[in-house]
Amino acid sequence: MLISYNWLQDFLKLDIEPAVLAEKITRTGVEIPTTDHPMDGLKKLVVGHVLTCEKVEGTHLHKCQVEVGEDEPIQIVCGAPNVASSQDVIVALHGARIAGNEKIKRGKIRGIESNGMICGLQEIGFPDKLVPAKYLHGIFVFPADSEVEPGQDVYHALGMDDYIFDFDITPNRADTLSMEGAAYEVGAIIDQKPKIEQIVLKEDGPAWTDSLKVEVDPKLAPKYYLRKLTGVKITESPLWLQTRLWNAGIRPVNNVVDATNYAMLLTGQPLHAYDAKTFADGKLAVRKAQAGEKLELLNEKELDLDAQDIVIANGKQAVGLAGVMGGLHSEVTDETTDVLLEAAVFDPALVRKTALRHANRTDASARFEKGLNWDNVQKGIDIAAMLMRNHAQATVDEGLLKASDEQRQPVVVKTTVSHINHVLGTKLSGEAVVNIFDRLGFGHELADDDLTITVPNRRWDIEIPADLIEEVGRLYGYDNLESTQPLLPETHGGYSERETKIRRLRKLVEGQGLNETINYTLTAPKAAKLFTKSDHRLVKVSWPMNSGRSALRQSLMIGLLEAVSYNFTHQQDQLTMFEQGRVYNLDNGKYNELEHLAAIYTGTAANHNWQKQDQPIDFYWVKGQLTALLAAVGLTDLTFKAAVIPGMHPTRTAAVYAGERYLGFVGMLAPILAVKNKNLQGHDMYGYELNLEALLPLMTTGVKNEPAPKYPGMERDISLLIDKGITNAQVVDCIKENGGKYLQDVQVMDVYDGMQIEHGKKSLSYRLLFLNKEATLTEDVVNKAIAKIDTALFDQLEAKIR
Amino acid sequence: MSDELDKLLARLKEIQAEGSQEINQAVNKEKLNDIRVKFMGRKGKLTEILHSMKDVAPENRRTLGQQVNSLRDKFQASLDQANQDLTHKLIEQRLEEEKLDVTLPGREPLMGSKHVLRIMEDDLEKFFIGMGYQVVQGPEIETDHYCFEMMNLPKDHPARDMQATFWIDDEHLLRTQTSGDQARVLEKHDCSQGPLKMVGPGKVYRRDDDDATHSHQFMQMEGLVVDKHVTMGDLKGTLEMIAKHVFGSTETRLRPSYFPFTEPSVEMDVRCFNCGGKGCPICKYEGWIEVLGAGMVHPNVLENAGIDSNVYGGFAFGVGLDRFAILKYSIDDIRDFYTNDIRFLTQFRQEED
Repeated sequence: MLISYNWLQDFLKLDIEPAVLAEKITRTGVEIPTTDHPMDGLKKLVVGHVLTCEKVEGTHLHKCQVEVGEDEPIQIVCGAPNVASSQDVIVALHGARIAGNEKIKRGKIRGIESNGMICGLQEIGFPDKLVPAKYLHGIFVFPADSEVEPGQDVYHALGMDDYIFDFDITPNRADTLSMEGAAYEVGAIIDQKPKIEQIVLKEDGPAWTDSLKVEVDPKLAPKYYLRKLTGVKITESPLWLQTRLWNAGIRPVNNVVDATNYAMLLTGQPLHAYDAKTFADGKLAVRKAQAGEKLELLNEKELDLDAQDIVIANGKQAVGLAGVMGGLHSEVTDETTDVLLEAAVFDPALVRKTALRHANRTDASARFEKGLNWDNVQKGIDIAAMLMRNHAQATVDEGLLKASDEQRQPVVVKTTVSHINHVLGTKLSGEAVVNIFDRLGFGHELADDDLTITVPNRRWDIEIPADLIEEVGRLYGYDNLESTQPLLPETHGGYSERETKIRRLRKLVEGQGLNETINYTLTAPKAAKLFTKSDHRLVKVSWPMNSGRSALRQSLMIGLLEAVSYNFTHQQDQLTMFEQGRVYNLDNGKYNELEHLAAIYTGTAANHNWQKQDQPIDFYWVKGQLTALLAAVGLTDLTFKAAVIPGMHPTRTAAVYAGERYLGFVGMLAPILAVKNKNLQGHDMYGYELNLEALLPLMTTGVKNEPAPKYPGMERDISLLIDKGITNAQVVDCIKENGGKYLQDVQVMDVYDGMQIEHGKKSLSYRLLFLNKEATLTEDVVNKAIAKIDTALFDQLEAKIR
Repeated sequence: MSDELDKLLARLKEIQAEGSQEINQAVNKEKLNDIRVKFMGRKGKLTEILHSMKDVAPENRRTLGQQVNSLRDKFQASLDQANQDLTHKLIEQRLEEEKLDVTLPGREPLMGSKHVLRIMEDDLEKFFIGMGYQVVQGPEIETDHYCFEMMNLPKDHPARDMQATFWIDDEHLLRTQTSGDQARVLEKHDCSQGPLKMVGPGKVYRRDDDDATHSHQFMQMEGLVVDKHVTMGDLKGTLEMIAKHVFGSTETRLRPSYFPFTEPSVEMDVRCFNCGGKGCPICKYEGWIEVLGAGMVHPNVLENAGIDSNVYGGFAFGVGLDRFAILKYSIDDIRDFYTNDIRFLTQFRQEED
């Protein structure tokens, strides 16, 4: 809410700089991010009285003689359609500064001398939404009762000399959504009792309350008050009232609507004025909407009402949406003479839901939702009635109709001074604590350490001792709290074993030259199902921002692909990236979140260099990286099986197993992806994705030293010719099974299936490493092992040893 | 007979001159060897002189012998020197041939990098671990129960509007805050066995349109300390340490705020480290930058987790890792974290630990 410094002066004696006060309020009560001083940057803007105004032939212009408090009137050419003689207007003199730091100079318009400018409100900095409708497309004209003199500055008359605090209130401090509430708060902060005036409304019309049959469900509206005013004459409000409204961010409309808004700003109690004709049938009901019922709001929005909406209805139909907005057909118009004025407390949750449901939040609904001061309902309605009486020539009919009137007893909270000190870490005396509650205007009783606080209804946010602690803490001043460190028994900080392992993997992958990314969890449903063998159901959000972000990913690769695509469009094509994060699925009604690790590679295996040693990334590079990574965490015995994974190249992808356990896949991304996403065209992409839920339990911890071998080993090379369809894994398995206990390692030396080789065959060469850790190996032992291997390869795989 | 001696001595002089000249002119080691053979070999010129010894008078033979040996020694020394010189020359030649243009660039291997949000996360985790905090993880698909109800946000609570939620079904949602981790840990923790100190980092989600300052996904870190004697002064001290650690800021302020799960609730601002408080675009001309929210754990949150709020209490705080990184590194678009432009990613390498 926007709180006027000048208006606050009605309640408090403020001899403190507005900026200093704002900082104090921010640190103690409600954050004030900005303070506006509307006249800032303006210069030489004075009241002018238009003496004569003649039309300039053949143009839309008027030539005006304007009295501006100087010896002679000045001549101004004005283009506004509504300029006329006898008006009091805003004049920017020669040398003036108006909105947007624009300078006004004397000059000639169409050859006619013009010594200034007659201004509209927007031209001196008012936003469109605050300018009264009749001045929206022309100059501003001071109302007749403005008591302005030609030549005087306009700022005071227009309220522009004010300082406007933007109270950025949190949901619990709706008590400051009124001038009185703000005055209590500021008063507590600067230790002054605010002057809150009570009013006595004079009723001089006939008694009216028997003329309307009102039915109210007190569950929907625990308080529902009505007043009737007759003989209303709709005009513009006096200027002082208009300036208070626009400084509070509300556009002046007419003397009735303005009266309700003013009363709301003052007391916090929202009010609504109906044209009394609406209830000509003598019936008014506050009820839930009926099925199929419709309502057209003041803002001409047509609603299909919900059975949970509270409406105000006459005998026939809904005429207003309770606590949110009135209906178009019950509106006060220029022809209105009799007004029915409503002040109520509606159920906050229902109002909130209605405002959300119909996307129609208003100043009023915000107040109803966050709560109202139940003790201010009558003051609200009486203030509004009084203003109409004073400014709209209204007669106030006798009687305040209270169709429902539940009472709320002040909350009593008990605590102790020592408890308050214990939580805050302070050493405040009982007296000091009581003094704070005194400043707040709360009732208090102190008996030794025991404190009993009676909270007035205007502070409905306070219910429990912790709430009292906050009041003491903030008014004592958080600045005054001593900064300490918790003095607690020793605790052992750290990561869980699982988190430690995950961080180890990230570090290793980064060390392999990959750049970490963080991608969006939400993606398109089709994309979410790519790059996984899982056939679990997708997890979807029920109300997505857009269809492209509606399902939770089942792979990390889809995010990496998006990142790579983004980089390709930004001319970056040397990319090695990884992500470690979660994937999600729904399995038998259970939501699962699995930690994964995925990498994507495209480009070359080292940065470009002039020696032309840039090896393009291929399947075996990526597989090598993956193998080295897994070896570093103790997984050396891996099986790679050709596999088909959606989104991956169907003949260049392997599933990775540790024993029987599926860890993930490695391979080339499917070329077909580039058909759907043109950004990917011309790039070979490889990658892997691992399910860490499977991998983490296999990661070894705790190494036992094995001394480096003392005896020399022996190497033997074998070459063989074999059917093309037989895999390296088959050959290596055969060699290992038959190599005896001294065979340490089998390395592939060469694979050849070119011209020199019989069709349908390939040539493979291996280097076999033998080692006896206990003694020097003899030729004889190795020869025997090789012979056995040769035989087995021939017998089992029909390999021809060369 | 002395004539014979004089003749041989003269001959020696000639040999000396000839040999010295040849040695000086030799261009390689083969030539030097030839010279050695020619003068000092078995059929060499000096040997020839010795063979002529028989023609010399016996009393002069000694003189001649000495002269020949002396010359042999001289030749040997010259040859050695020449050999050494040649070796040096060869080495120098070779090194000259091996000369590289050291200004040509080296071959750079690929270097990895840590995501800047992870840098923030890891750094803060280490900071808190050093103070005895446990690092805790919780689910991102959270239940209404843990995300809201346990955190003192019952259904229809207006504060639920502060966090537009991605709902999955009636009970499940993408967590809007990491606070659910608090509830889970509180439920499990046995306060009688000692204090609880934890931080919970992770991804959170809000129904927001993505733009330069909003993201439907971002990262938070939640902190919680609960024991018998934890004060708001302790909270203030801890928050000030965070500000100092992350921003180097020494001037901070606490403002009253509101969170359903803490009471009292505060937000902390730091003096704008860019302008020092004079006002600049980074602090939106306010001189202060809001960095985190915190407060004393609401008694309802403790009671909901079965902890006696009359005995135990504590503080909680939540920081936005994205916000910290944005402020610390002057990042002007939150989407940069999630679009992963490789140039954006790699620039933060030097910030890694």
